[in-house]
Amino acid sequence: MIDTAFPLSQSAASGITGGTGVAVSAESGTGSPAPAAENIGTASSGLDQLLQHPAIWRGRSIARVQSVSTGFPALDEALPGGGWPRAGLVELLIPRFGAGELYLLLPALAALTQQHSARWCAWVSPPLDPYAPALAAHGVELGRLFIAQANSPLWAFEQSLVSGACDAVLGWAVQRALEPHARDIRRLQLAAEKGRTLGVLFRPHRAARESSSAVLRVVVEPLEDGARVTLLKSRGGHRGALDLTWTHQNENSPRSHGS
Amino acid sequence: MSSRAVRTGPARSGSVRPRPSRIEPIPLFPVQSRQETAAPVVEARELWVGVHLPWLPLEALRCPPSDTPRAIVELQGQTQYIATVCERAARLGVRPGMSMAAALALTPQLEMHSRDPQREQQLLEHLAARAQRFTPRVSLVPPEGLLLEVKGSLHLFGGAEELCRSVERECLAAGVKPLLSLAPVPLAALAGARSGKGFIVTRPTHLMGHLASLPLTTLRWPPEILQRLKQIGVSTIGEALRLPRSGFARRFGKAQLAMLDRVAGRDADLRANFQLRERFRRRHELLHELEHHEAILATLEPVLQELGQFLKARQCGITRLDCVLHHRHAPHTRCILRLAAPAANARHFAKLLGEKLAALSLPEPVRSCELRSGALIPRAPATNSLWQLGEHGGGPCVEAPELIEHLRARLGHDAVYGLQVLASHCPENAWGPTDLSVRRQSAERAPWQAFQRPLWLLPVPRCLNEKEGLPRRDGGVLTLLAGPERIETGWWEGAGIARDYYVARDVHGVRLWIFRERIAPHRWFLHGVFG
Repeated sequence: MIDTAFPLSQSAASGITGGTGVAVSAESGTGSPAPAAENIGTASSGLDQLLQHPAIWRGRSIARVQSVSTGFPALDEALPGGGWPRAGLVELLIPRFGAGELYLLLPALAALTQQHSARWCAWVSPPLDPYAPALAAHGVELGRLFIAQANSPLWAFEQSLVSGACDAVLGWAVQRALEPHARDIRRLQLAAEKGRTLGVLFRPHRAARESSSAVLRVVVEPLEDGARVTLLKSRGGHRGALDLTWTHQNENSPRSHGS
Repeated sequence: MSSRAVRTGPARSGSVRPRPSRIEPIPLFPVQSRQETAAPVVEARELWVGVHLPWLPLEALRCPPSDTPRAIVELQGQTQYIATVCERAARLGVRPGMSMAAALALTPQLEMHSRDPQREQQLLEHLAARAQRFTPRVSLVPPEGLLLEVKGSLHLFGGAEELCRSVERECLAAGVKPLLSLAPVPLAALAGARSGKGFIVTRPTHLMGHLASLPLTTLRWPPEILQRLKQIGVSTIGEALRLPRSGFARRFGKAQLAMLDRVAGRDADLRANFQLRERFRRRHELLHELEHHEAILATLEPVLQELGQFLKARQCGITRLDCVLHHRHAPHTRCILRLAAPAANARHFAKLLGEKLAALSLPEPVRSCELRSGALIPRAPATNSLWQLGEHGGGPCVEAPELIEHLRARLGHDAVYGLQVLASHCPENAWGPTDLSVRRQSAERAPWQAFQRPLWLLPVPRCLNEKEGLPRRDGGVLTLLAGPERIETGWWEGAGIARDYYVARDVHGVRLWIFRERIAPHRWFLHGVFG
């Protein structure tokens, strides 16, 4: 659709430069400088501006998502916007606790908490005690992190998301009695958008069959020295599986963190 | 005539003063213009706003507004006399000083109340606290007056007139109608306010002209002295000032002469500054017994507003607020609000208190509520970000304690905590929960990078089954990946540990942190999960 709409500027270009057709595709519109007359540039930049309007949806090239890098280049490439969304709900589906789901998030958490004006990073009802020395060793700024032990984790999760006081909120809903329904997920997703917060909800693997309105749904399965990450749902991104390797595997040497 | 008035002003030994032949109000403005050219202007050292609150006894009752005429009665001897009347009653002819019977004969629908000195005092203190907006030097003149020294604040509020208007607005906002005047002398300002004339005098030289015509009743002397003065034809301050000093002291008392000296500015008039109470405490009696927390919260709303004003005037916040609910028979219920950072926002309090009350189970309906604040803590006002939350990395770079407090109100104070790294090589003691109210330095991460530590730690190590000397979990033997790392503590550290730690993988591929005791019986324990 974009390509059919484009001849407008092409005909303008041929009209001015005498037929040196300038092939400017929609994808490369921002990067490639127009070699011809200046008003082509203004025309294409105007078009770019138009296309960046939030109401225009361009399928897979939905690039205007604020994101934070996951720390894994392969995963960044697969995700829309090149990382975890800054505002939205991400579901991490895990077959069992300790599948590597936290290592997947740690680089992003470290980046978020180390920012100049970092907001809080909240952990709602973690099943065990997060071990502070290990978190600090991975670069997570502990001063920006708090833990809320709630017997109604979804309430605390939503409050943290909607308050706008958090950069990231991690929530565990692993107990069978407290599992969220589809409309709860919708509510959490809206809360995350409103508070401009990255919400990460850890759910058991069996929830993969249910439909969900989360921005991103990821299955994490443990591998030998990494994890297999399957994108079940990714709004405007790729789907499929990719294998990641933890950089901290050969940790016996202190230089292996690369930080 | 005017030069005579100026000469009589600063004279101290009155007996040698010439008596004026005629007593009349002294014209003010011509004097001012002539003097400015003649002599250098004398600046007042102090400027006082006198606030007189004639309707305070009525306003302290906080009656809902209605059309019925109201009056306050006071018992003097055997008879009830009218002390204060509202404007509507005054229009119907009721005057202060009438007997109650006379007032009722005049207006049968008159609604009578008796005075409530405690509430009057409370209201006066409330006003004094609000008046500290204008100056730190506020003093109470009970039962119904305030004095504000405003010399230093004039330029902040746009001059004397504008300041008086602001004071009036502040009083009206508190539901009290004031009479004001401004003078370089406190007693003169008060007398001016009581007379209802409301002058604004900023130069000491102009004071006498305004003061001379004020009636002596504004000085609140005992009635018999006023009566005697009236008998010799003296009813204004100006007339009294012209009497010979020694004779005046002999006939009417030294106290009265000293007061005349003070009102004329010849003698210093020291006033005690009003000191604010350090805690807020209000009890609110309910009209009906209430059970629902929403209803209780709604009735507490004005008290919370008052608390907000109280804190704002002091530029302070509180970190603790007690709400005590009293019942008919059962012992009172207490609901304690703890805040992560000093707060002074009434709406914030209401939100947190709502959460607390919702979680409360009441043994009986509530009859009255009481709010008590904790100690006041000086508070720096927060800076709002230019950007919206999350925009351009903006957002609350301050602690944003509202969320923490909101969660704590519902989940309990200890359920929300931070993490810190402690200097210990024993795995259990290397971390600890911390309070979030203190901003902490970033933890040292250097020493821990060298070691493999799990992201999750079991609170208590869990004993693992073993088969042929190897640990098992979920029906499979664990694969040891790395180790051993020996961790020992000294015997002097209480329950010492001596463990060999390994990293292991179970049959599902989950990496675990396990250890083996170095002492017999050499059992295996699970201590952490790598996550």
